[in-house]
Amino acid sequence: MAPKSASSIKSTSAVQTLFDAYTSQTSSRLKFIDAFLVFLILSGVLQFSYCVLVTNFPFNAFLGGFSSTVGQFVLTASLRSQVNPENKGVYKEVSRERAFADFVFGSIVLHFFVYNFLG
Amino acid sequence: MRATRSLSGTTVSSIFTLLLVLCITLAFGSSATAKSASSTGDSVLVILDSAKKVDYSIFLQGLEAKGYTVTVRSPRDESPLLIEDGLPNFSHVVFLASDTKNFAKDISPQTLVELLTLGTNLVLTLGLKQNLLTSLAPEFSLLLPPPATPLVSFFPERSDSPSVIPIAFDTKSVPNDTFSVLSQVENKIWFSGTPFALSANPLLFPILHAPAESFAADLSDSPGLVADALADAAEKGGEGFWAGSTLSVVAGFQTLIGGGTGHGNDAGPGEDKQSRVVWVGGPSLFSDEFATKKVVEKVETERGKSVVEKPSGNEQAAMDIAGWAFQEHGVLRIDEVKHHKVNQTDAPETYTTNDEIVYTVKISSFNPTTGKWERYSDLKDLQLEFTMLDPHVRTALPAVRGQKGVYSTTFRAPDRHGVFKFVINYKRKGFSHLLHTLIVPVVPPRHDGYPRFLSAAWPYYIGAISTSVGFLLFSAIYLAGEVKEEKKSKKE
Amino acid sequence: MAIHTQVWRAVYGKSADAIEKSVENVDESIRAIICIPRLFPFTFGHVDGLPLSNNVSPTTVANTASLLRIVAFGLISAAAIASRLFAVINFESIIHEFDPWFNYRATRVLAAKGFYEFWNWFDPTAWYPLGRVVGGTVYPGLMATSGVIYNFLHYFNLPVDIRNICVLLAPGFSALTAWATYMFTTEMKDSSAGLLAAAFIGIVPGYISRSVAGSYDNEAIAIFLLMITFYLWIAALKQGSALYGTLAAVFYFYMVAAWGGYAFITNMIPVHALVLLLMGRFSGRLYVAYCSWYAIGTLSSMQVPFVGFQPVRTSEHMGALGVFGLLQIVAFASLVRSHLSSKQFQDLLTVSVISMGLLGAGAFIVMTYKGWIAPWTGRFYSLWDTGYAKKYIPIIASVSEHQPTAWPSFFMDLQFLIFLFPAGVVLCFRDLRDEHVFVIIYAVVASYFAGVMVRLMLTLTPVVCVSAAVALSTLLDIYVDVAEPAVPENENSSANGTGAATADAKKAKKNAAVGSQAGPNAAAAASSTLSDIVNAAKSSSKSSPSKQKGIWGADARLVIILNAIGMLVYFVFHCTWVTANAYSSPSVVLASSNPDGSQHLIDDYREAYYWLRMNTPQDAVVMSWWDYGYQIAGMADRGTLVDNNTWNNTHIATVGKAMSSPEEIAYPILRQHDVDYVLVIFGGLLGYSGDDINKFLWMVRIAQGVWPDEIQEPNYFTPTGEYRVDERASDAMKNSLMYKMSYYRFAELYGNGNAIDRVRNQNIPKIGPTLDYVEEAFTSENWIVRIFKVRKEDPLGRDLKSANAFAQGKKRKRSKPVSRRRAVV
Repeated sequence: MAPKSASSIKSTSAVQTLFDAYTSQTSSRLKFIDAFLVFLILSGVLQFSYCVLVTNFPFNAFLGGFSSTVGQFVLTASLRSQVNPENKGVYKEVSRERAFADFVFGSIVLHFFVYNFLG
Repeated sequence: MRATRSLSGTTVSSIFTLLLVLCITLAFGSSATAKSASSTGDSVLVILDSAKKVDYSIFLQGLEAKGYTVTVRSPRDESPLLIEDGLPNFSHVVFLASDTKNFAKDISPQTLVELLTLGTNLVLTLGLKQNLLTSLAPEFSLLLPPPATPLVSFFPERSDSPSVIPIAFDTKSVPNDTFSVLSQVENKIWFSGTPFALSANPLLFPILHAPAESFAADLSDSPGLVADALADAAEKGGEGFWAGSTLSVVAGFQTLIGGGTGHGNDAGPGEDKQSRVVWVGGPSLFSDEFATKKVVEKVETERGKSVVEKPSGNEQAAMDIAGWAFQEHGVLRIDEVKHHKVNQTDAPETYTTNDEIVYTVKISSFNPTTGKWERYSDLKDLQLEFTMLDPHVRTALPAVRGQKGVYSTTFRAPDRHGVFKFVINYKRKGFSHLLHTLIVPVVPPRHDGYPRFLSAAWPYYIGAISTSVGFLLFSAIYLAGEVKEEKKSKKE
Repeated sequence: MAIHTQVWRAVYGKSADAIEKSVENVDESIRAIICIPRLFPFTFGHVDGLPLSNNVSPTTVANTASLLRIVAFGLISAAAIASRLFAVINFESIIHEFDPWFNYRATRVLAAKGFYEFWNWFDPTAWYPLGRVVGGTVYPGLMATSGVIYNFLHYFNLPVDIRNICVLLAPGFSALTAWATYMFTTEMKDSSAGLLAAAFIGIVPGYISRSVAGSYDNEAIAIFLLMITFYLWIAALKQGSALYGTLAAVFYFYMVAAWGGYAFITNMIPVHALVLLLMGRFSGRLYVAYCSWYAIGTLSSMQVPFVGFQPVRTSEHMGALGVFGLLQIVAFASLVRSHLSSKQFQDLLTVSVISMGLLGAGAFIVMTYKGWIAPWTGRFYSLWDTGYAKKYIPIIASVSEHQPTAWPSFFMDLQFLIFLFPAGVVLCFRDLRDEHVFVIIYAVVASYFAGVMVRLMLTLTPVVCVSAAVALSTLLDIYVDVAEPAVPENENSSANGTGAATADAKKAKKNAAVGSQAGPNAAAAASSTLSDIVNAAKSSSKSSPSKQKGIWGADARLVIILNAIGMLVYFVFHCTWVTANAYSSPSVVLASSNPDGSQHLIDDYREAYYWLRMNTPQDAVVMSWWDYGYQIAGMADRGTLVDNNTWNNTHIATVGKAMSSPEEIAYPILRQHDVDYVLVIFGGLLGYSGDDINKFLWMVRIAQGVWPDEIQEPNYFTPTGEYRVDERASDAMKNSLMYKMSYYRFAELYGNGNAIDRVRNQNIPKIGPTLDYVEEAFTSENWIVRIFKVRKEDPLGRDLKSANAFAQGKKRKRSKPVSRRRAVV
């Protein structure tokens, strides 16, 4: 137990530094994206807990709602990594504009399926 | 074919045959208009030695009085044929030639059975000797005693031979759900002939039982031996002994409608015709001799026993037996079957699971006095089954009050999709069988047949909508940011 | 019959040219394709060697190259389509085999009533009396495709019969498959390899077997969707583009809607992603491609009613979900790492990884245990354990296409590609980019599956074509390139170079045939010719790169090239022959040859089905073994008890029991299921081995699975364990309904001669079986199809056996009470 608690102390300090590094290094645009991501995570967690705690009866509705948040999350996360200047070397063929267009296209397809699935 | 056959015979007989055939065809053709008491046709063939025709004049005249056209054919006559070109020539056949040994070629057990499948009704009388009916009887689940063992009874005490027995018809012997053929016969019926036992065939039912004191025995030997045999049998508890009221002297048989798959012609009775057979232990039941023979009874009065002579019930019984056999009485049919959803009027092509279904059937009975079908409401135990492999629903189908002959019920379709059948399968002894199958598919709800928006799902709807709204807002702000940045970069 | 032959001859006469033409087409296009890599260097490719190239502008070169590509592609498509038309030419425009008949019937409903009606279609005639909810138990992609094409054509007032659309759909899609394979292979190597692969997939028998004209089955479009989805996945992965990921998801959706084999994609892509992860190749691109594909693809796949919630409920789909989750974690971790020092990161990592792993595994176990996630299905187990199906699910094992593959069929279906295939896979190891990993995984997995089930040969075929094309084009690249290796300035290396080059040439030759490690040096030097040309042309100003390695001398080249061309030509002939002879038979119409060599068509199936259609009530129900269910429904338009959609084992077992029981036991079953007619296939007269007596043991086995007390397989063998139908056949065999119906009155056909069953080569007893409960209604010309009518109950309530005995005049034994009666003397 002892090493674990030690590591947890360490990790809390790690989290602290992580937070600091994040606030200092990230551009405001990325922070905005992150805000959206956090919103999606919250929405997803809420829906999931509602499903587990209350009812999953219209299972398709749950899947529709939940996967819309998950899908939107990963698409946004993709956008985030594509527009992140640090990753420029990784995405040679994807410019920032292209990334956003991809993001919009993917989201529209996603939402089309979501609403088809809900009702 | 007819011409060649008549050429082979003598000229006289051929002309006679032609005339006869003509008469029959005329009679047959006009059967629709002629007024007879039967629901299936007027023409009756009586197989009987023409010499003995006079012995049965009361019975034959009684038939003619009811509107039947009676043709008599000697057992060895080649014509008129029973079946010609696959069609029966007569609607009813009465077989009174019980003592005949040899018959014309077309009178055989097989033809008689074929007649039944073609819808011809039969009255068959057994003789004491073996003949074709002896080999036919087992096919109807009748068990005959050995040849030449007539029914004998020494009770009541009478001057006649012990094998001529007066039998009283007991109304109580008829179960409630069985049609009582002889209910109008009040007097005792003279009987002389062979009794028979009935094995367990649901199509076969007794019309007249043998008296409890009677037994089957050959009395040509000395009476003492009979007494020995009786004593012997009594020791063994009567096992294997042809005696008592379990034996019958008259039995009815209603043929079965095969099929019922509900496909094509098989939906209702279809091409299958029902016919009736009556087995009678001896032809003399129909004879003039027994019809006029008085029954002598000792009646207990206040002044002691007195002897009363009563007319026999034979004439009435003969007419009733023939009447039942010729489908005058106890004839039912299904006129119309309707089904639809509750609150609708037309039958849908398919039902959806859990639909409320209304099923209505109209049933008629034949009235022999008017010769018309009349709506019939007296069936108490009619049932409807909704079947797929097994009945999923079995419900009573009660008569609707105020609507004559209409039976209706409402039930909920099972929560199971598949091809279902509405089945009415009503079989009661003495009545025509009612069999009707109707196929209807029960389908699952349509894709838009389920409830669409559920209150329980609102959190999910909100989740999805909020995501979409969030996406739109995000895109807008993001684009705005992009433009700003561009401006900035331009400024710089 | 004579009329038939004449008509057919007329058709054939006309079409004979067409066949030749198609053969020529195939040949021509193949040659054209083969020529392309050769042509290029000779005409334009001599940028470095010949002065001609200097006069041509780079754009012209590029344009001409693409023009040639288009022309070649057109020829490939023509060849692909033409070679699939053998079936139509040799026979007629007819739907083939079994499953396609259902698809065709469903498509007709869809075309006539529209999509919503189709979706809600409840077919009361199938699986009588259970019925079948077609809309919810079918992959509608195929029907929807035809429906869209049909409506599209009719919108433009082109009144094309729906049948012709169905017949020609598979050839049409084969052209699209060729295109998808081209795109896929281009991603692997270059466009010349792509063209080769397209040509291969266009005519390879392994794919043609499932896509000849009339073979209107899910596979017809599924292979195209498979390849296009894989291509889009690779493209998405390469570029890290959500667009391609989304497109891949959309085509994945189409695939899910079209074929049950979509599970192959569902597992291939995650495995690829997982392997890349394990190889330490995680990048944002992988994250973007995989997540966009998975999120949208899974959601969309659940829109197909037949699939429903399976993607989140069954174990087959859990791998994809797991990889999805893993990628989230890894992505998050890498994000965190970018913000942290490595030491802190290490600590954070260990804690989170351990807890996450425990949590995930626990959740999976709990959910499987609680039944939220269905365990693997039987069909899936049979993929791992080939004996599994035979033991537990005879119904799966009874399908011939679920049997393990025999090795000759690999050669039959793929010919020389099977030898090039390993070479291509090995070549993939050379630069081992992400997409090459994919091909390697695909090759390994598909090879295994193809060995397990004949049917899955189909999924192997594309990857064989791709790798073979890669191998062959690498070979040709080296040997066709006219540029001789530059004489090195360095004398030192010159000597080596010469030696090395000749050695390499030998090695490469050997490699091509044997498929061992390809000559890496030689191949590496000559990278893709086409791109070389274009690149070179673009940068004509650039000094030509001096080649260090290559082939000297025309003779060495010629040997190899001629050899390769020879193999290609032979391949074309092989494909044409196999297609014409083995895979074009509709199996509804059988062909045999007369003594004089002319073709004789055996059309018993359609004769019988037409008889049913014309002579039985509209709603009659026909019982047959399930193989013929779809055909009866499609051609005779009558109800069936069981059909090729084998969803209800019990129902099939019921039919099996009825067939393998004696008449009096079978009769109540027949009556309960409202059977009007029983249809059996009998090949004994003609020697047609695919008949019901040969399938009979499967019926017994399946029935035994449900009624082990009543039906036992050993009873149907002779005491010595033989499967016989002659006098020595076992009693159970002789009394079974199937045996009786098959051989009913068979011996009479031979008069006094010996009645010989030509399939089993056994003498049939002179006194044949008698039938009491069914009566013969129809027997086709060659006795292949025999139809029996189920008799109704006897009007006197007797069992039909004694009723029959009575009708034949046999006297009944005196009834029982007589023996109990004491004689009264």
